[in-house]
Amino acid sequence: MTDQSVSHATRGPDQGRADGSSFSESAWYGEKLPRAIRPYRSHPVRTLATIALVVVLASLLGISTAYLLIEREQPLNAVTIGPWHAYPKAGTADADPYSVAIYTRGAVIPLANGEGLALVAREDSAGQQLDPTCIYRIAGQTPSARLWTLTALDGNGHLVETLPGRGNLVSSDLLRAQDGSFQITAARNPHSGNWLPLAAAAKASDGLRFVLRLYDAPVTTGAALDGVSVPLIERTGCP
Amino acid sequence: MTLSPRFNLTVGLLAIFCLAAIIHILVVLSIPHNVQHSAYDNVAAYGPDRQFNLLPDIRPGEEALPDLDPAMKHATCRFQLDNGPVLFDASIPVSFWSIGLFNAAGEAVYSLNNRTAGAERLSMLVLTTEQLSILRENPPENLEDLIVIETEEPISGFALLRAYVPHGSRATDVDQALKAANCTGI
Repeated sequence: MTDQSVSHATRGPDQGRADGSSFSESAWYGEKLPRAIRPYRSHPVRTLATIALVVVLASLLGISTAYLLIEREQPLNAVTIGPWHAYPKAGTADADPYSVAIYTRGAVIPLANGEGLALVAREDSAGQQLDPTCIYRIAGQTPSARLWTLTALDGNGHLVETLPGRGNLVSSDLLRAQDGSFQITAARNPHSGNWLPLAAAAKASDGLRFVLRLYDAPVTTGAALDGVSVPLIERTGCP
Repeated sequence: MTLSPRFNLTVGLLAIFCLAAIIHILVVLSIPHNVQHSAYDNVAAYGPDRQFNLLPDIRPGEEALPDLDPAMKHATCRFQLDNGPVLFDASIPVSFWSIGLFNAAGEAVYSLNNRTAGAERLSMLVLTTEQLSILRENPPENLEDLIVIETEEPISGFALLRAYVPHGSRATDVDQALKAANCTGI
């Protein structure tokens, strides 16, 4: 067996011409021709396997990217002002397909234009992910609105149990400075001044989201969102 | 047909990316048609159609519908314009309330709050263009005072009424006002 294959491999050109095999059909399929002009011989099994592999890989890639984008729950056409994001088009007939998918999948009823605008923060002003075990200072001014509420949610957008039982603050109950600005301390344990309670028993992995809902705000009814003042979110301490 | 192994690999990768992009787009577009519970379905769990049903208070772990404000009380009413026009009528004695109209796909059709309503009382009529022209032949007396919302198609949908509760002591007042709100035919 070994002898035969060696003799075949070492067969010289003279020997080949002597038995006329280089002019026969089998010589066309030999390894000596460049790949580009070598005639094509079909390999049905190999072709099928290649197509199957391409289809499987493409499905995996397509479905997983779609899943990741939808699961992030962040519509793509966000309006970003400081650490806050707003999605004024989401939940309307002009929404992009991604936010339509996100909103219908979560059965979310959006705050419609005539009612108000919701601003969501998942990061602080320094760009760090919000952490429910830390203490945050939310200070500044909000875009003008008749009423606004600030709510602390977990990373999945659900309300959490807090020490006093409430997880939100309302603009009408706020202590303000003379110029109308305010300072809110968001923390687990009670603080003096404006205190937004965070989850009583939370791990860093639970995530934290602040939602600022502006009711009857001119920013939703045509006025541009650029240039409005939004509160800053600063991390003041972590355990 | 095969130029080089590298050429084959490039063609393969291109095929994978093109096909992946098509599948990605199809998946994203098909999600709205395949959701198990839309907002329109969820609202039905709180009571019969064509009347305002008060949603339970928003508390951690027992949120009636996702993404609602715990500072507010909510009432919903499901309606189908196929069964005739809907008249929304409510009088809520608080400093802020708003109503949003949504179609069965969850898109906002119309919304207003107590300032843009221009009156203390909410009276809003939702109907199709066809129903309006029939109504005009024999108009009710107060048609001029109503906010009339015309839709081209006879939509199915729901209304979400939000009322701000300024203080716990006002909660029962707001509950009463939301329960007394009407969502009926004319």
